[in-house]
Amino acid sequence: MGERITIDPITRIEGHMRVEVEVAGGKVVNAWSSAQMFRGIELILQGRDPRDAPLFVQRSCGV
Amino acid sequence: MEREKAFAEKLARRGVSRRDFMKYCTALTATMGLSAAYVPKVAEVIAAPAQRPPVIWLHFAECTGCSEALLRSQYPYVDDLVLELLSVEYHETIMAAAGQQAEDQLQQSIKKYDGKFICVVEGAIGTKFDGGYGKIGDRTFLEIAKEVCPKAAAVICIGSCSSFGGIQAAAPNPGGFKSVGDALGMKTLNLPGCPPNPVNFVGTVVNYLLLGKLPDLDDLGRPLFAYGKTIHDQCPRRSHFENDEFVEVFGSEEAAMGYCLYKKGCRGPETYNNCPVAKFNNGTSWPVEAGHPCIGCSQPNFWDKMTPFFEEL
Repeated sequence: MGERITIDPITRIEGHMRVEVEVAGGKVVNAWSSAQMFRGIELILQGRDPRDAPLFVQRSCGV
Repeated sequence: MEREKAFAEKLARRGVSRRDFMKYCTALTATMGLSAAYVPKVAEVIAAPAQRPPVIWLHFAECTGCSEALLRSQYPYVDDLVLELLSVEYHETIMAAAGQQAEDQLQQSIKKYDGKFICVVEGAIGTKFDGGYGKIGDRTFLEIAKEVCPKAAAVICIGSCSSFGGIQAAAPNPGGFKSVGDALGMKTLNLPGCPPNPVNFVGTVVNYLLLGKLPDLDDLGRPLFAYGKTIHDQCPRRSHFENDEFVEVFGSEEAAMGYCLYKKGCRGPETYNNCPVAKFNNGTSWPVEAGHPCIGCSQPNFWDKMTPFFEEL
C-alpha cells in the first residue's frame, strides 16, 4: 500500500470532480475518480411531457 | 490616460475598433437604464477602472452554462473582465490551482478581503442529508456557502439555479436544492436566466464601479434595469399577437413569416427579462427571434410552473 493523494476540486473542468491516486515507488498504482454532485435529472424527468425532455437534459452540462 | 491607450491598443489587436467599443458602451448604458450622458463614464470604467473589486466565484449545483455565457460576452472580453475590471480570486473553471492549493486560495481570499469582496454564486445548494448532495474538497455546498457568503460585501446570484433553485429544484427535487437566498436566509442580488445574459452581469458590475452601489432591485432581487418589463411587452412579434396572427404548427408558413408564438406555449407574457432588447451572442438573436417560444427561464421555479413548455398558457 503506497501513499494516497487526493485532489479535490479538480479545476478547469465543468462539474465537481475528485480524484484519488495511490502512489508507490514514484508510480501511480491505483486511481479513483468520482463526481461529487447528484442532481437527479433522470428522476425529475419522470412523468413529464416528452417534448420537454431535450430542454431538461441540455442542462446536464452547459459547456 | 495611459491605461485607456493600452486598452485601445488591446482592442485594436483583436480587430475591434474604437467605434465598435463605443457602440457596445452605448448599448450597455441603455441596458442599464442610464442616460446617454453616462456613455463616456461607462467607457472609462471599462477601459481604466479606478478600482478592481475582488470577486470570489462559487460553483454549486449547476452546469457551468452561466460561466460559459460570461466567457462568451463580447466586450469586455472575458480576459479583460477577469484581469482588469475585476480581480477574480477564485473561480474553479478558469483558475490554475487545483485541490488543496485551490482551497487554500479560497481561505486566504476570504480572510484578506473579509467584508469587501463580491461573491458570485452559480448553482443551487442541496439541503437534504445536511447538504450531502454536493461536495467540494470534502465540504458540502451548504457548509461552503454558509462560510463564504455572509463575509461578502454583496452576493450576486448568476443564473436561475442560485437565484431560484433551478433545474435540480424541479419536482420531486431529489436533493432538496434551494436558492442561495433560501438556503442561507439572506438577501441576494439575482440575475436569473438559463443562461442569464452576460450583459446584465457586466451592467451590474459597471453600475457598482460607476455609482458605488448595486442597481435597484425588484421584489425577487432582480435588477430593474434588466428585469423591469416582460418579454411580451418588448417583443418584436407583439403586433402579430394584437392582430391575432399566430403560429399553430412549427415549420408552417406562419412560422416562416414570424407570427406570434403564444399558441405554441410562449411564456413571454409572464416572464420578466430584457432578451428582446439585449439579445445574445453580441446582439445576434434571441429565442423568439430564432422561432422558439420563450420558456420563461428567468422566472422562479419555471421548470415546474412553465411546463409543459409547448402548451398554450
